[in-house]
Amino acid sequence: MASLITCPHCGVRPKEEFAIRGDASLVRPAPTASDEAWHDYVYVRANPRGRTLEHWQHVGGCRRFLVVERDTFTHEVHSVTDGAAFARENGK
Amino acid sequence: MTAYRLTAGGLVDRSRALSFSFDGRPLRGFAGDTLASALIANDQLLAGRSFKYHRPRGIVSVGSSEPNALVTIGSGARSDPNTKATVAELYAGLTARSQNRWPSLGFDIGAVSDLLSPFIGAGFYYKTFMWPAQLWEKLYEPLIRRAGGLGRVVLERDPESYEKSWAHCDLLVVGGGPTGLTAALTAARAGLRVILADEDFRLGGSLLSETQAIDGAPAHVFADRVVAELQALPNVTLLPRTTVFGWYDDNVFGAVERVQKHVAEPLAKLPTERVWRVVARRALLATGAEERPLVFGGNDRPGVMMAGALRTYANRYGVAAGRSVAIFTNGSAGYQAARDLHAKGITIAAIVDGRVAAEDAAPEGTRVIRSASLIDTRGRRRVSGIVVERSGFEELVACDAVGMSGGWSPVIHLACQRGAKPVWSDTLSAFVAPDVGGGLRVAGSANGVYTLSGCLGDGAAKASAIASELGFKPTQDVMPETGEEADPSFTALWYAPGAKSKAFVDFQNDVHTKDLGLALREGFGHVEHAKRYTTSGMATDQGKLSNINAVGILAGMRGVSPADVGTTTFRPFYTPVSFGALAGTARDKHAAPTRKSPLHEWARKNGAAFVEAGPWYRSAWFPRAGEKTWRESVDREVLNVRANVGICDVSTLGKIELFGPDAAEFLNRIYCNALLKLPVGKARYGLMLREDGFVYDDGTVSRLAEEHFLVTTTTAMAGGVMSHMEYCSQVLWPELKVRFCSVSDQWAQIAIAGPKARSVLQQLIENDISDAGFPFLAAGTVTLKGGLKARLFRISFSGELAFELAVPAGFGIAVADQLMDVGRAVDICAYGVEALNVLRLEKGLPTHAEFDGRVTPDDAGLGRMVSPHKTDFVGKHLSSRYGLTAADRMQLVGLKPVDREKDIRAGAHLLREGMKPSTLNDQGWVSSACFSPVLGHHIAFAFLKSGRERYGERIVVWDKLRDQEAVAEVCDPVFVDPENARMKA
Amino acid sequence: MIRDYYNRNALDEKLRGAPRPPGANHLAIGHRQAVSMVLAVAGEEDSVEKLLSSATEFTGRFSAPGEWLVVSENDTPEGLQRRLDALCSDKAHIVDQSEARVLFRISGPSMRRILAKGIGLDLDPNVFATGASANALCGHIAVNLARTGEDAFELLTPRSFAESLFDNLMTMGREYDLTAAFAA
Repeated sequence: MASLITCPHCGVRPKEEFAIRGDASLVRPAPTASDEAWHDYVYVRANPRGRTLEHWQHVGGCRRFLVVERDTFTHEVHSVTDGAAFARENGK
Repeated sequence: MTAYRLTAGGLVDRSRALSFSFDGRPLRGFAGDTLASALIANDQLLAGRSFKYHRPRGIVSVGSSEPNALVTIGSGARSDPNTKATVAELYAGLTARSQNRWPSLGFDIGAVSDLLSPFIGAGFYYKTFMWPAQLWEKLYEPLIRRAGGLGRVVLERDPESYEKSWAHCDLLVVGGGPTGLTAALTAARAGLRVILADEDFRLGGSLLSETQAIDGAPAHVFADRVVAELQALPNVTLLPRTTVFGWYDDNVFGAVERVQKHVAEPLAKLPTERVWRVVARRALLATGAEERPLVFGGNDRPGVMMAGALRTYANRYGVAAGRSVAIFTNGSAGYQAARDLHAKGITIAAIVDGRVAAEDAAPEGTRVIRSASLIDTRGRRRVSGIVVERSGFEELVACDAVGMSGGWSPVIHLACQRGAKPVWSDTLSAFVAPDVGGGLRVAGSANGVYTLSGCLGDGAAKASAIASELGFKPTQDVMPETGEEADPSFTALWYAPGAKSKAFVDFQNDVHTKDLGLALREGFGHVEHAKRYTTSGMATDQGKLSNINAVGILAGMRGVSPADVGTTTFRPFYTPVSFGALAGTARDKHAAPTRKSPLHEWARKNGAAFVEAGPWYRSAWFPRAGEKTWRESVDREVLNVRANVGICDVSTLGKIELFGPDAAEFLNRIYCNALLKLPVGKARYGLMLREDGFVYDDGTVSRLAEEHFLVTTTTAMAGGVMSHMEYCSQVLWPELKVRFCSVSDQWAQIAIAGPKARSVLQQLIENDISDAGFPFLAAGTVTLKGGLKARLFRISFSGELAFELAVPAGFGIAVADQLMDVGRAVDICAYGVEALNVLRLEKGLPTHAEFDGRVTPDDAGLGRMVSPHKTDFVGKHLSSRYGLTAADRMQLVGLKPVDREKDIRAGAHLLREGMKPSTLNDQGWVSSACFSPVLGHHIAFAFLKSGRERYGERIVVWDKLRDQEAVAEVCDPVFVDPENARMKA
Repeated sequence: MIRDYYNRNALDEKLRGAPRPPGANHLAIGHRQAVSMVLAVAGEEDSVEKLLSSATEFTGRFSAPGEWLVVSENDTPEGLQRRLDALCSDKAHIVDQSEARVLFRISGPSMRRILAKGIGLDLDPNVFATGASANALCGHIAVNLARTGEDAFELLTPRSFAESLFDNLMTMGREYDLTAAFAA
């Protein structure tokens, strides 16, 4: 795991300031979507080796949900973006 | 008397004698000594007994690689077991004790295990004690625990203090030898922020024991000069006594500074140890190289030491480990040691050289036995001679110390801690650091550059390159003059052939060559398997000396190159770090922050007993004179609230204010009940689900203005709900125009409950709070007499006529005092969370004891709250799934013991009468219980299968934990005022 | 019955007793100041930031995108609320935090060394300059940190954490003989 995360709002911060929520690539299904879609959204998670998108909340800083693109194998962090901006770009 | 203090020389301060003790024996050393050098000066080379065979073991090395000389320093609670004597700085009054011996270091009964050694070879743990299994706990384990092991930890509370600190720098230099010092100086002169850390208490590394001159002066003078310049620069932090133990992601390093390990009386204002977390843009590993021991028969005899260690003890500390020293070498370093020792007046008994031919110059008149092997040693607690074999001829050479030199291994531990494996170099016959990118580079001996001038040059060049890379302009400095240098070459020798007795690979773990052979024969030839099977490379030294030879021997036995064997995995920590240092200040009151309500002092002066609730201290009850048990106080508080009035501190509830045109829509989506049409000036109970359909939290929602809301959360979930709301607004619905902010700390909030609540409160408030003027569930701003603005909510968690009054936090105590004053006439009382709990149970109100993450709104009897009309809210879809709507779910019911004298406790399980307790027969569980002073008996909330259909049924409350059983009647969970007449009065 | 209610500082208990003379490294607890949270209306973040930076009586301290804490030494809480309402008109929501936050004003030559024991930010003036502000963790406690001078910082912490933060700071500062008192 990364020791430092560069928050787009607050700068370089130790990982202790963040809380990890999990997969950021999930899209909340419509309320009328199938049971399977909802089951997948709430319960099913991949455990990839390599690049992932995760929500890290900067709880000790700006309290924004950030989308951290990182590699679970090399621990390299490729990008950190604001969660709302990411959500808007992805169709919200 | 063999080992002794030289009459002159060394960097010890001979004018400052220090007295210390070893195993109770008073001894003397000098300032600048390590415990090891002082012990040698006192001819105390024997330092401990080995782990498994209890063989006598002496000091071997001069630094943190020491496998043998582990001692306990200090006494009582200040004891530090397993301290390496070779790194322990001597101070006046130091007390040291040897370890792993009984009754004494000289005579140890455990040494009998050495005679049993044929039966306790590698893997004996896994074989010998397998059978019979029942003997393991009673016999084998206690036996092994007593016989084996290193020092003992003390169980007393650690009186030392510790702390952590962050540090940021452009360049972290690890190691303060010739390479590190020149690197630090080059970088510092260029303007970089530099941190230089070294394990030693004096910066200089090998320069402190170097006989070669630099710029015409002794090497240590050069070191002092560089250190002085660095010290004067504001952009440099020097950290002697600091071990950089770990390299972590993003070039963050962990280091431990032994701030006061070397003082008898530590200052209270300073920590004993400090852990540094160093964020470094670049780092340079200048950790030098470790001299390799040689594996030969009897090589663990006290007096057998590293040749370089003998040299350092003589040059830096002015001590000689022996009067007549034999050298066993396969390279030039052995000759260097021989020359330096000879120059100090120490006799060189012989130089045994494994190589056929070598150019190295031996001291004048010294006998050199080439192409030879050392096959055994003589002596018991101290070496008295060596057996040399050449061409089949054996010869006994008398000596009182042996210096061994098997070549060099770069110290590359840190560079390999993040997954990259060391790389074998045929040229260097050593593992070298892998390329780990630009963040961490390796220089000097750690990089396989063994000459002094090479190290000085490599350090400067690498630092210079880093400076340019970071945009600094390095100055072009003239390199110091070092003169002619010795050839540092060697020929790898993993195992000296012909051993006549045990040839140890790992001294600390008593692993000898035959153990490795056994491991290979039994299928554990992989280097990681061999380590576990033989324990080679384990424990406190992690094989700093031994690993390379173990790899070489395995390679030899398997007929492959060391490159094919590879190394075991490198992990932090480089050397052991105390738990205290890692915890830092985070213990006792600093272990986690505590939160205090703005009414804390009010509760305290009213005599509250406090209870920890997460980070909070909440008032639990308010005992009065004459009350002997907490129950007496709680019963009185409950009855007084029901009969008169009480006030309770509810400031710890989470409070969040929301603003914006979409605030109502937002709330409508995060609560399961309808909130869009909540009128301004009104509060409503709100229930929040998780996306999986279970209850998450409950609270109230008040509309203060059209686009302005205030929600409350439970105390426990305040942080979680805030995060949940942030997630919903930022990630799920960023299009909603809503802003919110925690106001939990802004308000002191007081519940005023009881039939006389209104009459008391009205005396403080300007506004009309009659039932007509401020009806049930009203919410809004009021003005206290005197002008203070406050917020008032007519909500009840007790079933009584009740209000919650919120005032700006700093005024909380004054207002609470005033309420108590005006309420005295009607017997007002303060009540705590215990009474609060009884009041809500009597009234049938669930809380987080019920909402345990497995409970749906319907389970808790709140099914009607879930709006069927809303198109979406968090938890909507999955709350209606199969399983969450089943008829036989556990439903919230009340319980009353049939025998009114019986009590019921939370956690008990429910069984049908006559049924045996089993998972299959389980009918449910008790979630909350209390004694109801209103009803005069215990009451409880329970989750019971299809519970709401079973009112009137008798059920067994089975409490195995307390070994109690009671029969209870299932009933409606509302025990008091089911018509809500009191609440709406 | 008309009353004037007494307003207590969260650190009244901690700082009870005769004050010691302030040392070179000193922690002063703000006694009375107004603090407001300014929440920009969606889409108005930039204009609110401009308005706040144009003000001379106070500075906005960065909390989160579109969210600032404003500290005023001279206003009452109500006064600051009015002033900010007038300044931002309908571009921002103003939430009074005067009672919710405790102001720790800490200064002295060893300040960076002291704060580094709890705060992971690089406090080099080239990185975190005078006038800079940010939310951060000090140990386990969330604070808003502002640099008010080369060796002077201010920490705003939630009131309920004030005693814990005070204990932490005093422990962090013991090496440098940190003293503490209410601000004059």
